[in-house]
Parts: sequence; structure tokens; C-alpha cells
Amino acid sequence: MNLYQEFLIIAGIICGLAGCASTSDEMATATKAASVQSSEVTNSSSIMSDTNIYFEYDKSDLSMDASSQIRSLANALKSNNSSKITIEGHCDERGTREYNLALGERRANSVKDLLILNGVNSKRIRTVSYGEEKPAVSGSNESAWSKNRRAIVKVY
Amino acid sequence: MNYKLSKIFVIVWASFICLLANAQLRIEVTEGTKDPIRIAVAPMAWNIDSPASHYIHSIVSSDLSTFGEFEAIGTDKMLSLPKTEADVYYRDWAILKVDYLIVGSASESNKGGYLELNYSILDVVRKRAIHRARVIGQESELEALAHNVSDRIYREINGISGIFSTRIAYINREGISKGNYYLRFCDINGNNDQIVLTSKEPIMSPDWSSDGTKLAYVSFEEGTSRIYIQDLFSGERKALRLEEGINSSPTWNPKKEELIAVLSKKGNPDIYSYDFRRDRWKQLTSHYGIDTEPDWSPEGNKFLFTSNRSGTPQIYEMNISKNTIRRKTFIGDYNARARYTPDGKYFVFVHRKDGDFHIAVQNIKTNKIRILTNTQLDESPTISPNGNLVLYATKSGTKDILSGITIDGRTKFSLPTISGEVRDPSWSPLFK
Repeated sequence: MNLYQEFLIIAGIICGLAGCASTSDEMATATKAASVQSSEVTNSSSIMSDTNIYFEYDKSDLSMDASSQIRSLANALKSNNSSKITIEGHCDERGTREYNLALGERRANSVKDLLILNGVNSKRIRTVSYGEEKPAVSGSNESAWSKNRRAIVKVY
Repeated sequence: MNYKLSKIFVIVWASFICLLANAQLRIEVTEGTKDPIRIAVAPMAWNIDSPASHYIHSIVSSDLSTFGEFEAIGTDKMLSLPKTEADVYYRDWAILKVDYLIVGSASESNKGGYLELNYSILDVVRKRAIHRARVIGQESELEALAHNVSDRIYREINGISGIFSTRIAYINREGISKGNYYLRFCDINGNNDQIVLTSKEPIMSPDWSSDGTKLAYVSFEEGTSRIYIQDLFSGERKALRLEEGINSSPTWNPKKEELIAVLSKKGNPDIYSYDFRRDRWKQLTSHYGIDTEPDWSPEGNKFLFTSNRSGTPQIYEMNISKNTIRRKTFIGDYNARARYTPDGKYFVFVHRKDGDFHIAVQNIKTNKIRILTNTQLDESPTISPNGNLVLYATKSGTKDILSGITIDGRTKFSLPTISGEVRDPSWSPLFK
């Protein structure tokens, strides 16, 4: 192989790499990707620490402990009338994602209903279900699952 | 090296490098069928100036061996390299126990920038051609052309369409339970991986439009679940009318421009149909239980959905014109997220047995079920448009991964990823 041929091959490889970059660009224009900024309310203005309420597997009803936890939370919220409340519903990873989204909403609603029953104005409360999409801890065991089956009450 | 040759060289090189660099998913057969069909794809005669002669036959070989149904003989094992049917000594291939041999040639088409592939599928046992075909395609899209040839060969030998030109959409997260969420799609072999959406908040439930040009999905970017439709070529994105509560599980009707989804605006999750012209939702199911995870039948006149109206999640089917709902599953206390097979005769779903979540298939007429997987946390099944393969999400340790199985249960494959977690797969329709 003479020097000229060698040059051509190396040039080919370099062009190939450069071509790669341009091919990627073309792909990027072929599929215009969207990138979004999250507009979720952040925790920075939170005025109380978050309250976690835990649930049994595939259940959205409140345990005795959870109920008394929510009742005392309702009292604190009533004395702080201007605050807004977001309740997130979450599930463990077992079962299907879309079904869990529905289950997470049921959990958030259980907490919401008991807060309203205990005198918190419903207009202050917003609920959102994340299903199994935002686990608190990772792991496929009961210890992780029990921490992920929760509703989180956030006060702003 | 003349100018033209070097130009083609650069293009081929470029695409090769990019494809390797972009690949996010790779299919690896973990448990093959005991008796794969043995094929040999001889390097094509290349009657034009191009080094791509090393390209097409290797893509076809690798396509056909993807799911373990075929075993392709490498060129290094071949005793001869025939370029035409006349060159073939059947004995050379009988010795190698090859069932089918593919020989062919590429030449410049009359149309500029196009090339013509002529190939034959030869039955080695019967010593004759079973199929001869010509495919014309753009020189710049050799890879797509090769997949097209693979699809045709697959159909000739197996009797059903190949799926090597289809795509898989999926959700990817950068790290394990952390980092950005991506909606991406790629070719079956993991090549041409493209990002459709990047977000800090979860993305869920991608579903292909029947023409394969759009994806519907759920994104939490506004702090609540909302359904979006995105055109994959223009990037144009449309947010569907947001209702209070859950907005989830979008599913396109395969026969017309109609989309059904799940809303909980009245307090309970029910199935609604979206009116594209008026940006409005029309309620289809109404029950105080959870109704979710709809899937249209191939004819677009019925849909399956999950409901816990009986106390546990079970599969139901709604006939739209008759306005009737029938329960379909009776075995077990957790049956969810059903997907019809393309012939409408079966559905694949998530079935819990002894506390573990498996993928199962049920015959719609006889209600007989067959469990396909033996792992514990299997979900989100999606079926290839030829009805032959099921892709689903499962776990490897604490990591979300994709796995697959042929619907007869004979071949298992996994899709290892380079980084992060992968979930929620959705198989595209066949592209026309």
C-alpha cells in the first residue's frame, strides 16, 4: 500500500466520522424531538414538611393509624388557612402501570376526602396520581414496596 | 478509488458508525427454538461500484437470526459463494445442512440514485427456487432496503410477514430510578434510535397511530398526566384537551382516526373517545370501579379494557355498536392490560399466579389461557404486527428491562440496554 492509498483510507475514515455527525443531524431533523421543562410546583416554598400516608397492597382505604394521622394534619391545616395542599398518590411496582395510575388516584382521593370531612376546604386541595412512576425507594421486595405504596401531602 | 466510489464508501461508513453509536437496544436470544431453520445468505453480486456488497447480505442474515427462528450460516463457513442460481452446487449446501439458500445481485436501476436487487430463495432439499424477486430502492437507504428483503424472505419461508422494517417505541430513564425520562423509538435491531421527547417528569404509555407516523403518549410535564400526540416527522405536538384527574392510556383505532383513552374527570376512571374536530371527549364506559387500559380490536369495532368492577382487576370487552360489555377473564385475581393479536383471535395480558405477574395469552373463543413467561414482574405486553412475537417489560435486579418471547413460547429473547432503564414498549404497525 503506498502513501497515497493510505491517505485516502484515513481521509475516508475521517470523512466517515464527519459524515456520521451530519447523518445524526439529518436524523434529528427527520424526527424533531421535543424537550419540555417541568412546570411542577417545587418544594422550595413548602411551609410544612411532607406527610407520608402508607397503604396496603392494591388498597386505597385508610388504616386506623393513617386516619388519625390525617385528622391531626387537618387540624394543623385549618389553623393555616391560606396554604395550598397537593396530595400525590403512588403505588408499588407490582401490577400494570395504567391500572396503578388509577389506584394512585384512589389513594390520593381517600386522603383528600378525610381532610375535607375534617373541615379542610376542598378548594385548597389538588390531587395528582403518579402510579408506580415515582417510587420512593427502588427494590423488588416488601420493604421497598411498603414504602412506595403511599400518598404524600404537600403543603405550600 | 474514483470519486463516486469514495463517496459511497463515506456514506456507508458513516451510517455504520452512527448505527452502532446510536444503538440503545439489542436483541439477544436467551432461549432458542430447538430446531431453527438453517439459512445461508450468499454475498450479493455487486454490479455497481460500491463496497456495500458487504452490507446487504449481512443485514439480511442478522435480521433473520434476530429471534432465533432462523440460524444463518456465516460466509466463512460457506464452501462456495454463488452469485446466480446457475452457480449453485446444492451439495455444498446440503453438507452444511442448510435448508434455504439466498443468492442475488445488485445493479444500478434505470432510475438515477436507485438500485435494483434481484434475489432467489432456493430450497436446498428440493434443489429448486421457491421464490424470485426484484426490489428497487434508493442507494441512500440500503439498510431499509435490506430489511425489506428480510421481510419478504421471512414471509416466503414462514408464511407471515416479517417485521424487520417495523419499529419499537419505549420509555427510557437515564439512571435507575433517577434522571431524565425519554420517549424514544428505534428499528428492530436497535439501530436508528431517536429521541421523541425528553422530560424531567414521567412519560408513559406510547402508542403508534395506524399509519406509523405519530405517537400518542402520556406526559407529566405540566405536573399532571396529560395526553399528547406527536408527529414523528415534523415534530409537531398536540396536547389533547386536559380534564381534571387522570388523563391516560391513549389507544388509536387501527381503522380510522379515532383515539380512546382514560379520564377520571367524573371521579372514577372511565374510557372516553376523543373527538379530533371539536377537541372533546365522549364517555364510553361508566362504572364506579376503575376502567382503564383500553385496546382496540383489529377491526376497530370493539375494545378490551381492565376493570375492577367485580372486585379484582379483570379483562372486559366492549362492543361499541351493540353497546355491550362482556367479562373475558375468569381465572385468577389479577388480569390486566390486554392487547389483541392482529388476527383478533387471542389477547395477551398480565396475569398473576401465586403472587407473580406473568404475561399470558388467552384464546378469545375458548377462554383457554397459556402463561408465556416465568419471571415475577412482567408487564406492558405489546405484540408484533405479524402476531408472532410479544415484547414486554420486566426486571433484571432492580433495573427495568425489556424482554420478549415468541407467541408459541419456543424462543425467548432479551433486549439489553447500554444505559438506564427501559419500559413501556410499543410495537409499530407494518409500514407501507
